[in-house]
Amino acid sequence: MSIETTDKRRAFGFVAPALLWTCAFFILPFAAMILLSLAHLEGRTVVQGYDFGNYIKIFTEPSLLKGIRVSLEITLVVTVISVVLAWPLAWIIATRVPPRYQRLAIMLAVLPFWTSYVVRSYAWALVLGQNGVLMQGLIGIGILDAPIQIMATRAATVIGFVHFFVMLLTLTIYSNLIQLSPNYARAAADLGANGWNTFRLVILPLTLPGIMTGAFLTFVLCIGDYITPQILGGNNELTMPQLIMLQLGRRGDFPMASALSVVLMALVTVAYALSARWLKMERV
Amino acid sequence: MTISKTSLVATTAMLLSATAVLAEGELNALVWCDHTDPALLEPFEKAFDVKVNVKEYEGTAAGLAILDQSRPGDWDVMVIDGVDVGRAVDQGLLAALPADELATADFFPDLVMAENNTRDGITYAVTEKFGYNTIAYNKTKVDPADMEDMSSLWSGKYDGRIAIYDYYLPLLGLIGLEQGVATADLDATALEALRARAYGLKAASLQVSDVVASQTALATGEVDILIGGGEWVTAVLSAESPELDWTVPAEGALRWSQSIAVLEDSGNKDMAVEFVKYITSPEGQARLATSSCYWGMPANSLAGGVLTDAEKAALRWDQQGDYIARTQLYPVPDADLDLSMQDLWTDMLQQ
Amino acid sequence: MRALSWIYIGAIFTFIFLPVVVLVLFSFQDSRLPVPPFNGPSLKWYTQVLNDRGLMEALTNSLLVALVSAAVALLLGFFAAQGLARIRLPGSVLMRGLLIAPMTVSYLIIALGLLSMFNDLGFRPSLWTTGVGHVVINVPLCFAILFASMGDHQKNAERAARDLGAGEVQVLFLVTAPMLKPALLAAYFLSVTFSWDEFIIAFLLTRFDVTLPVEIWSMLRSGLSPATNAIGSLVFLVSIAILFLLEFTVFRKPRA
Repeated sequence: MSIETTDKRRAFGFVAPALLWTCAFFILPFAAMILLSLAHLEGRTVVQGYDFGNYIKIFTEPSLLKGIRVSLEITLVVTVISVVLAWPLAWIIATRVPPRYQRLAIMLAVLPFWTSYVVRSYAWALVLGQNGVLMQGLIGIGILDAPIQIMATRAATVIGFVHFFVMLLTLTIYSNLIQLSPNYARAAADLGANGWNTFRLVILPLTLPGIMTGAFLTFVLCIGDYITPQILGGNNELTMPQLIMLQLGRRGDFPMASALSVVLMALVTVAYALSARWLKMERV
Repeated sequence: MTISKTSLVATTAMLLSATAVLAEGELNALVWCDHTDPALLEPFEKAFDVKVNVKEYEGTAAGLAILDQSRPGDWDVMVIDGVDVGRAVDQGLLAALPADELATADFFPDLVMAENNTRDGITYAVTEKFGYNTIAYNKTKVDPADMEDMSSLWSGKYDGRIAIYDYYLPLLGLIGLEQGVATADLDATALEALRARAYGLKAASLQVSDVVASQTALATGEVDILIGGGEWVTAVLSAESPELDWTVPAEGALRWSQSIAVLEDSGNKDMAVEFVKYITSPEGQARLATSSCYWGMPANSLAGGVLTDAEKAALRWDQQGDYIARTQLYPVPDADLDLSMQDLWTDMLQQ
Repeated sequence: MRALSWIYIGAIFTFIFLPVVVLVLFSFQDSRLPVPPFNGPSLKWYTQVLNDRGLMEALTNSLLVALVSAAVALLLGFFAAQGLARIRLPGSVLMRGLLIAPMTVSYLIIALGLLSMFNDLGFRPSLWTTGVGHVVINVPLCFAILFASMGDHQKNAERAARDLGAGEVQVLFLVTAPMLKPALLAAYFLSVTFSWDEFIIAFLLTRFDVTLPVEIWSMLRSGLSPATNAIGSLVFLVSIAILFLLEFTVFRKPRA
């Protein structure tokens, strides 16, 4: 037995535990879920069929279809806004803040991560209420005469999401930015490019992988999140995770919940396919 | 940051033991949020040297779903909507209670609800608390006279100022009453006829929210009216928010009642029965009535001797006779109608 | 341009810290509702929270699940990264993809899958099932971080050690691990953070022994009060303290 084979065997042995865990507790349950999505609920018992009844229902029933639309709309809006807000912040910290303080700045930028996610959404509920801090503040300064309704609208959900993802994206984009050599910008300048062109043709493309990775992460986390829309949305338009929890909680309808989950997964896969170009996992 | 090894070992041992067969000194209860108040549980726990584990659920369908997903012996005690006891009995879930040991003789007569709580002479559950799903409102922000007529909620005058309590059963019942349909007459056709009215209510409202979100919205002034609310919302806030009030409008309202039962598969039936007896005793009833999540009228009238005058005023102790007469019980749909109702509710949420 | 940068930072930081400041401020609220107007500072909610048996238990549970599941994830991820980094295996792209996959799946779906499976197998929800779920979501993270940090530099050191007669275990723990210390610590720390704050998996996969986010959610469902603000602020302050502690002891890069 050559050294290479032993090495390969050993290497495989190293990977095996993680693979087994992933297979047993991720792949298998997911496969079981797909199977379950083909069943349906009769009264209170699950009848295993092999029909696409649940899926047909999802794509024909207005309330469920709307859930897909709402989820996509909110997620796309959140992703775009978060990227637009986070990129400048990451860039400013990476270039304008003295290197000694950059670590501190980044830590400050993501500090609120460490309040519990549930509590943070609830805090936004308090801030955005008609008698909450924001409205009282704006009225006090004189910008507003009467409180405007933010809580229990899509705006509240979006604000709650953007708050979280701006922090996340700042972190990911910043990590990407500091790996960029300043030589690129200098070279571009040497070759005669002005600030805007340097940014547009050199810096932006180079940071695109970092942005796209962050954006993809944002998409996945946002579309799958239950808490923020539940606390801030007022049950006014249900997102897919809320619909899934509804099926589970009130009706005990595991098959339909599974079907909705599979559709959610499909949406994420589409997003992955669209951004795969930038998401290659390479070793540096 | 160090965790001492011994404490780690101890905690691990504790975790392992927790997943083993249920310990003798524990009672598992499937309850509504008003049973989680330590002020309610601790006297019982101390008296009987037992730990009461509680898990909250909302809505009978969800509770039955939890039972479906559990194994025999997982649960000892359950709080269930009075009108749904029959369903649970049909499924063989509930154990027979020793009727002679229960305090039902002291109950408000209308709340014994034998037709719901017993079957063929056997008592399966006992009423523990009741109240109303009606209209709660901020009397400084709305015209109380309007609140005596439910249809004013659809009038457009209060658009965007209304919260809908997120429980389809009483709410669909209320919408039915507004249209003149008694809850007992709610069938598939009648339900479908309510669809437009339900959508209309949703359009006029700001949010559809659960117990706490509704309380919050009313208390913080986010909304001025809560349909489906009642004393259960306002009484608990009565000290700090005296501007909150409630009424039973001319069309009538829904009366909710919750019963407590012991589960047939329980491994700890004696202790479970003791718990039921405690809950229905005057002291237990008084604590339950003023429990931290929401208040309600105790089924046992002797609790009146334990409650304070302020508490009784907040609960409208003296007007109960009138209210009971003018309110109806929850609809009791069969499995198909229940699903239809939930579907309609989901559709309404998505409008 | 300079000024614009600082204005922007100021604006964004205000946005980022607004809910936290409000949260902490109203944890000192004297009256029952954590909304304006603010009534004079009071510590009664903190007292209530610290005396809340359920909350303190949940806190310990969270810590336990986080530390243990992160450790398991780190171990699995470390070995997997080692295996895939040191030699080209057939199907390594597929294996890498499989290991990373859970990161792209919504936690809700992972939780549902596990709930279903554990139900069928007869395992009741508990902190253990939650721990399993947390390992699932953290293995991809640990693997990715460690895989990305394993380079030739460290491979050469391993080879040298092996040439000098070191056994496999020795190489791993005396050569590889120390060289990867920053990555190992980062992976562990991130995993602990993700597990600690994770809600939906814990919510669906626990019964009576719950983690802190689930307990806070229950608190929210059974009574609005500044007590929720208090526990949130407590968690925040403790986390900050730990963070700064780590920053100034472990993460500090040696001055080049």
